Amino acid sequence: MSPPLRAYARYARCAFQRRAAYRLANVTGVLVNFFFFLIHAQVFLAFFGDGGRTVAGWSAHDTVLYFATSEALMMALGVMTAAVGIELSRRVLEGDVVVDLARPVRLWARHLGEAYGDAVYFLLARTVVLYGGACLTFSLVPPLAPRLLLLPLSLVLGTAIGALSIYVAAASAYWLENPRGPVRVVFFATFICGGVVVPLDFYPDGFRSVCELLPFRGAVYTPVALATGKLEGAALLNALAHQLGWTLALMLAAHTIELRGVRRLAALGG
Amino acid sequence: MGTWLEELGVYRRLIGAAVRGQMQYRTSFWIGAFTDTFTLLSEFLPIYFLVLKFGKLQGWSILELALLYGMVRTSWNLVETFCNGFEAFAQILVRGELDRLLLRPRSLLTQIAANNFQLRRLGGVLQSLFVLLIGIVGLQLGALSVAWITLGVLGGTTFFVGILMLGAASQFITLGQTSELQNMLTYGGSTTLTYPVSIYQNWFRRVVTYLIPLAFVNYFPALAALGRVEEAGFPTWLPALSPLVCATVMLLGQLAFTAGLRRYESTGS
Repeated sequence: MSPPLRAYARYARCAFQRRAAYRLANVTGVLVNFFFFLIHAQVFLAFFGDGGRTVAGWSAHDTVLYFATSEALMMALGVMTAAVGIELSRRVLEGDVVVDLARPVRLWARHLGEAYGDAVYFLLARTVVLYGGACLTFSLVPPLAPRLLLLPLSLVLGTAIGALSIYVAAASAYWLENPRGPVRVVFFATFICGGVVVPLDFYPDGFRSVCELLPFRGAVYTPVALATGKLEGAALLNALAHQLGWTLALMLAAHTIELRGVRRLAALGG
Repeated sequence: MGTWLEELGVYRRLIGAAVRGQMQYRTSFWIGAFTDTFTLLSEFLPIYFLVLKFGKLQGWSILELALLYGMVRTSWNLVETFCNGFEAFAQILVRGELDRLLLRPRSLLTQIAANNFQLRRLGGVLQSLFVLLIGIVGLQLGALSVAWITLGVLGGTTFFVGILMLGAASQFITLGQTSELQNMLTYGGSTTLTYPVSIYQNWFRRVVTYLIPLAFVNYFPALAALGRVEEAGFPTWLPALSPLVCATVMLLGQLAFTAGLRRYESTGS
């Protein structure tokens, strides 16, 4: 491994260890994820009613399975990391970021490395328990198909999109006095347009096509729908290409913003 | 009574200082207020889309759902705006800021409530009131119904203050590790109440009625406002218990917080 790559791997490991240090926080976190799963599942079961109908090609079982998967993967995908973004922007605003920038690593890449460290931790500490618990509670049948082999790839890209979109929003702190706004927009957009609260298939056509263009679909909906067995064939390939495209675009954006931001920081007096 | 008024004065001055500070950066304030209102508005949009796709939610129309949503979110947003310090209490505790607050000769509760007040959050209050108003006007509710709704919103406010205080009290023991559990009751609780309690499964409905009395926050008052208490299978006097139940939760919260404070030892040096 080249030295910088080893440095990023090291950041990932540290992030993992930091998460692992708070055991009680993980237990309460599992409870919270499961609670939200219960709400989503029951609301949709009520919407579907007892008739056993399908809506937009989804059965009640598909939908509950979707939420079992999304709550199980949500932390690994970094959906709830608005706090990390706000901390990042605080460091920019207060100037602490100078210390980070003085190191021979790219800050955005370090942020991405830490997101992967978190992701591995949450896959071990939350995903298995939550998915198992949800499947047992509602007698869900996990879909087993060869295309699930693409899931790891989709998760790697999804985590990158989540982490980088928060990073780009937080980096607005180089220009704005209060960068919470952009971070919150990204956070909520991930919820609404990324498919955390509703699988995109249930949206009206117009709104859905907007959501399908935005990066947030790649952060949650694509990996979760793939794991639920609701993405296949051309739609699946299209979704993976969308993920790859946005990952590269966001990397480029993060890189550019960081270079410009550093100059802006210098102009501010240092 | 004198001290009570005095504390209110202190609170107003703390909030005033925060407002003056934030208004120094006008652009940032407006961007913040706009994005807050906009992002919160997008919370109700998915519910609207779902009703479009599925039809009524077990007999509840979109306007009735707007009523439920508006009530619980108005309560919660008011509490999040005006008692922010209790929500962020884990940080106050872990960063040692509590010691600084304790040194001041003013009520601790007032200081914590006013801690980190964010004017832009009023955008959230306005947004939920807007949705609530759509519900009230759309359903053509009368004065008595509006009185029930007001009572529900006020009750919900005391309920969430109590929950935040209980959460803050638990931080004394767990040192910040239980803030997620608190989120479950506040964010999770208000999400639960966005939908009528009747749609949930039996065991879950019992938990949110008797164990954590969420149903008293907006469901029972909303039933009263819609004149559907008996239709839903409850005695007509039940909604009248709402303010009582909510006030009890707040009292419990205050007692727990005081007890937690008594065993607080700072870093112990």
